[in-house]
Amino acid sequence: MESKDLNLARPDAKPKAATTPTMPTVVVNNLTKIFYDESRGALRAVDGIDFECHPGRIFGLLGANGAGKTTTLRMLATILKPTSGTARLMDHDVTSEPDAVRANLGFSSSTTALYPRLTARETLEFFARINGVPEAKVPGRVRQLVDRFGLGDYADTRVDRLSQGMKQKVSIARTVAHDPPVLIFDEPTVGLDVLNALEMQKVLGEFRAEGKTIIFSTHIMSEAERLCDRIAIIHKGKIHASESLANLRAATSLHYLEDIFVHYVQHSSVASGVSPAVEPGILPGGTSP
Amino acid sequence: MSLPAPEPGRPQERIFWRQVWILYLREMRAAFREKTIVLNSILIPIFLYPFLMWAVFTGFTFVMGQTQGFASRVLVTDWPANHPKLRLNFLRDDQIQLLDTPTAPTAITDKIKRGQLDAWLEFLPADQTNAALPGNFQVRISYDQSKDRSAEARGRLADAIDQYRRDWLKRDARRRGIDEAHWQGLALSARNVASNKEMGAFIMGMLAPVIFVVMVAIGCLNPAVDATAGERERSTWETLMSTAASRLSVATAKYLYVASLGSLAGILNLSAVILTAKPIFGPLFEKAGRTLDYTIPLPALPLALVAGLLLAGFVAAGMMIFAAFARTFKEGQSMITPFYMLVLVPVIFLQSPGLQFSLPLALVPIVNLTLMIREVLTGTFHWALIAVSFTVSLVLIALCLRFAAYVLQFEDVLTGSYAGSFTTFLKERVLRSRTDHFPRAAKG
Repeated sequence: MESKDLNLARPDAKPKAATTPTMPTVVVNNLTKIFYDESRGALRAVDGIDFECHPGRIFGLLGANGAGKTTTLRMLATILKPTSGTARLMDHDVTSEPDAVRANLGFSSSTTALYPRLTARETLEFFARINGVPEAKVPGRVRQLVDRFGLGDYADTRVDRLSQGMKQKVSIARTVAHDPPVLIFDEPTVGLDVLNALEMQKVLGEFRAEGKTIIFSTHIMSEAERLCDRIAIIHKGKIHASESLANLRAATSLHYLEDIFVHYVQHSSVASGVSPAVEPGILPGGTSP
Repeated sequence: MSLPAPEPGRPQERIFWRQVWILYLREMRAAFREKTIVLNSILIPIFLYPFLMWAVFTGFTFVMGQTQGFASRVLVTDWPANHPKLRLNFLRDDQIQLLDTPTAPTAITDKIKRGQLDAWLEFLPADQTNAALPGNFQVRISYDQSKDRSAEARGRLADAIDQYRRDWLKRDARRRGIDEAHWQGLALSARNVASNKEMGAFIMGMLAPVIFVVMVAIGCLNPAVDATAGERERSTWETLMSTAASRLSVATAKYLYVASLGSLAGILNLSAVILTAKPIFGPLFEKAGRTLDYTIPLPALPLALVAGLLLAGFVAAGMMIFAAFARTFKEGQSMITPFYMLVLVPVIFLQSPGLQFSLPLALVPIVNLTLMIREVLTGTFHWALIAVSFTVSLVLIALCLRFAAYVLQFEDVLTGSYAGSFTTFLKERVLRSRTDHFPRAAKG
C-alpha cells in the first residue's frame, strides 16, 4: 500500500519497534480475564493463554460461542484490561500503554458499527485523524481508501443509506484508515451473505500479502481452513492447540478441521474431569457433532 | 471526598486536545444531522417557546375577555328602602343581571356552589353594628372564590356599591356645605415610579431565567443520552473505544459537546424571548394603559452568556453521569429523568416575588445563576454575589467531572456491561467501598 510511510504522529506514541518478518508483532503471555457475575461468582473467561503473531501471517482463534475469543481480542484492543498476564503489541504493553497500542491497531467486530449520520468520506476522515494520521496526509489517505475499496460513487452518501455490502467496505476501510501494522477482526463474516463473506476473505488475504499481522476469530471451520496460517483452538478460556493446519492434522491424524476441533475439545473435557461426550451445541456455530 | 480506587494498575489517562477537537467536531456534525437534537436544541428554543408564550398569553387575554363579557347573575334580598337609586344603578348595569328567585338561604348558597348563581347580595339592617347610621345599610356578598365567574361578580358588586357610597357621601357633604377636601380628610393616591423600561426589564427578569433553565436542561438531555447510551445502542461505542483516542479525550469531547448544545439551547432561547417579548406582552401592557419597553444592559449580555455556559456545564456533567450507566436510548432517558426534575426544582422557587439574590442563595447551584440572570436583566449587578455564584458553579462542575472520570474508570461501566443504575453504583462501589470486585461479565 502506498501509505506505508504514514507518520503516525501521536502525541505520546513511542516509535515503533523495529520488526522483521521473523519477529512477533503480538506477544501474549499467560493472559487471564476474570469477570464477576452476580449469580455465578468469578468467571475465568480467558484462562492463562499464550500465543504470538507475526507480520504477513493470519492467526486464527477458533472457538465456540463463549469460548473467550472476543474477550481475548478485546484485551488486545485495550477495550478490556487483563486481570493478569501480559500482552504486547508492536512492543507496547496493552495495560500500561493502551493509547500507543490502539494507534498501531485496527479493530473490527460485529459490535464496531459505523456512525450512521456521517458520510463514508467523513467516516474515513474521522478515523484517519483520530488515529493519528497527520492532517496534511488525511485527504490523500482518504482518496486511496475510496479508490481501493471502490467507494467512489458512494463516498458522499450517509452510512445509514448504504447497502450492507457497502457498509462492510466502509467498515474495513475505516479499520485500516491509519494503516496500522496489526489488524484484529472478530468474527468479521457474521451476518454477511456468501458474496460479501468471500469478499471479506479476499480482503484479509490482501492485507496478509501487504505484510500486516492479522488476528482473526471465527467459529466457521471453512474460513479458518482457508485463511489462517496458524490456528489456535480455544475452549472455555484456554488455548488447547496453536499450530498450522498441517501440523494440527499431523498431530491428530485427522483431516477435517471440524474433527480436529472436536478432538481437542473432548481432550480438554477429559483433562478437566468433565464427561468426554461433546455437549450439544459445543461445536463452533452450534452444529451438532 | 475520597473515592475508593476502581482497579489497580490502571495507567494515568491524559487529554490530547487535538483528539478532543476531532471528536468534538464529529459529535457536533452528527448531532446537527439528528432531527431530535436539532428540534430540541435549536428549533424549540428559537420558535416554540416564544410561540407558546404568545399562545398562552393570547389565550389568557381571551379568557379574561370572556369572563368580563359575562353578565353576573346576582340575587339581591332586602333592598334598603332609603336608597332607591342604588337599585336603579344595578338595573342599568349591563354586567349585572338581577335574578328574582327568593328561596331559603341554604338553597341560595347551594346554587352559588353549583354555578347557577354568581353572588348573593344581602342588605342587612343598620342597627346590627355601629358602622352604619340609622336608615342606611350594611351589605354582605356571598360568592364562591373557587369560581372565576363568581369571584368576578363579587368584584363587580363591591365596585358598584363602593361607587354608590362615594357618590352618596359627596352629595350629602355638598348638601351640608362641606367641600370634598374637608369630608375626605385625607387623600390616597398611588404612583408607579417604574418607567416603562424598568417594568419591561422586571417582566423579562421574571420570565427569562425560568425558561432559560428549562431550555438548558432540554438542550442537554438528548445529546447526553445520544453521546453515551446512543453510542452503545448503535454499537459505535466499541468502535470509538478501539481508536487511538485516550479515554479522557473521548469523555472530554463528549462532555463539551453536550455542554455546547445545552448552552446553545439556553442562549438561543434567551435571545428569542428577549426579541419576541415586546410583540407578545405589548398588547397586555397596552390594556393596562402602559407601553412595554426594555433595554438589556450591556454588561448583562456577557454575564448571561457565562451563566449559560456554567449552567449547561453543570447540567451536562450531571446528565452524563446518569446516562453513562444506560445501554439503550430509552434506558438513558429514564435514568436522566430524576436529575432533569432535580434541575427544574429551583425554578419553582424563582417564582416567589420576595426572593432576593443573597449570599446563601449564591451558594445554591442553579438557583444562584438564575437569580443572577434575573438581576442583571433588570440592570442590578451585585458583583460579589456574581463572583460567588460563578465560583460555586465552577467548583461543582469540577466535582461532577472528577466523579464522571472516576465512574468511567470502571471497565464494566465503560463497556456497558454494568447492569445497575447510578444509584446501584453508588451503593455498591462508592458507599460500600467495594474494591474486591471484578468487572461484570461481558460477551465473549
